[in-house]
Amino acid sequence: MTRLRQALDGIAAEAPLVNLADAAIARHRRRRLVTTSLATVALAGVMGAGGVVMATPWRPAAEPAVQVAPTAPTAPTVPTVPAVDRAAVVADLPEGPVGRLSHAYQATCETGCDDAEWRVVTSDGKTYRVPRALARTAGRPAVPVAISRSGRALAYYSREAQAHVVRDMETGAEVVSPVKVPEAEIPRGAMLLVSDDGRYVAFDDPQEFGDYPGVLIDTRTGERTMLKRDFEPVAIKDGVLELVRPVKTDLWLMPVTGGGEPVRFDGVFVRFSEVAPDGRTVVALDMTGTPKQEPVLTVLDAKTGKALRKVPAPALAVDLMPTVWLSDTEVTVRNGAPGGRLYAVDITTGKARPLADHGEVLHLTLPGRATSS
Amino acid sequence: MDRHDGFREFVLARQQALMRTAYLLTGDAHLAEDLLQSVLAKVVRQWAKLSRDGNPEAYIRKALVNQYTSWRRRPRPELPSAEVPQHGASYDDATLDRMVLRQALARLAPKQRAVIVLRFWEDLTEAQAAEVLGCSIGNVKSQTHRALTRLRTIAPELAHLLSDPEIEEVAP
Repeated sequence: MTRLRQALDGIAAEAPLVNLADAAIARHRRRRLVTTSLATVALAGVMGAGGVVMATPWRPAAEPAVQVAPTAPTAPTVPTVPAVDRAAVVADLPEGPVGRLSHAYQATCETGCDDAEWRVVTSDGKTYRVPRALARTAGRPAVPVAISRSGRALAYYSREAQAHVVRDMETGAEVVSPVKVPEAEIPRGAMLLVSDDGRYVAFDDPQEFGDYPGVLIDTRTGERTMLKRDFEPVAIKDGVLELVRPVKTDLWLMPVTGGGEPVRFDGVFVRFSEVAPDGRTVVALDMTGTPKQEPVLTVLDAKTGKALRKVPAPALAVDLMPTVWLSDTEVTVRNGAPGGRLYAVDITTGKARPLADHGEVLHLTLPGRATSS
Repeated sequence: MDRHDGFREFVLARQQALMRTAYLLTGDAHLAEDLLQSVLAKVVRQWAKLSRDGNPEAYIRKALVNQYTSWRRRPRPELPSAEVPQHGASYDDATLDRMVLRQALARLAPKQRAVIVLRFWEDLTEAQAAEVLGCSIGNVKSQTHRALTRLRTIAPELAHLLSDPEIEEVAP
């Protein structure tokens, strides 16, 4: 036996004892039930509203969550704040306005992650606990929160409401989704996304290989649209939901009102940015062929499927995640995992300039990015 | 007699061994449990065919690896960092090796991590690992070489673990 094998044996021996048979059977039954229900819903949608299912209208808890005019959002300012002082006493998120958010994270698990909690950090550096946002459920990975690309809207799952909630950070107003999602049925590894004006929420379960199709909800009209299987939401911007089918790789810029069609790229791309200010290009990591020694960002035309250019970013580690655009030429890129180092990468030169370092925090959640646990 | 009794019996007998594989792949207890449970949930519906025609355990191991690499193509969950302690009286060398190796594995690409687990823990041949990963033998060789090289780079203190002849043959 090699010494490497011995060390791996030692790690493997730390695997917890489990009893998964009944849980797996229950999960199988639940999935079959969901599939059957969704098939029924889809059939009703086809017969009635052309694929759009009318759900119970949203019930505003106080007033509509976000009352921003649907103008084109400005590029979010990524604050260069220092890592949060987790030793400090952190106040609960107050009822009123607190200002836009820079990021969210989970407080480090100190007693086996049962005490995990979500915290949000505002653009001016104030940190708040969000006790109403469920952080994780028994034996399951974290339940996500989402921040809109402007930092104004926060979406989270409320245990009390057994549903998702969208909060306007500038007014404090909250909207509770009428679509109840029992805690026991929160899809594992769910992705959550909220639009800049807080009107649209999308959630999906990419780890289930499309067994749970994603859902897009219009918070004003109560319309609920089932997303096509295998596609996972990446971003919502300017009324367009960006959907990606990994590995194939297909990209679908779907207006939130429906329509559009996927475009296939020649190659394997992952980790897509939101759509650039030009409305047609995106940046993604090229994973075609053998692993790259250096990260290669690729600028892709979302209308034609053509790769426009490769942008090596040798100054950065391989683990990159392009997110929101800062200008016509600079895209925010998160670098490294674990950790929250953000850079602005010029896609014409490949040069990177540092924006912020949020330190090594758990489940770092950034504005404008679909988050998964 | 429940129609899932055969599945239950198999899981009861093999779940801990499968869990160890899942844990080595993910490095996280919750993720490992989630990974294995999601694979088992898919196996339930095919159990009759698998138990009749095939080798369920081999199928599940292959599904574990494939689902893990698929998960890891998505944004990764961050794990709380834990500083590796300096050599000291409170840790024996084996414990320290495990801690350093665990952190080094977390920094490998998914397929690299999978190939380390398959080749050096499951003791699969290159051909067997290629079958599990759904790639060529050449790809397994190159992934293994890269994984070992990267481990040596990011954790030079593991050199003694990676210098056994069997491993040197793969990536000198």
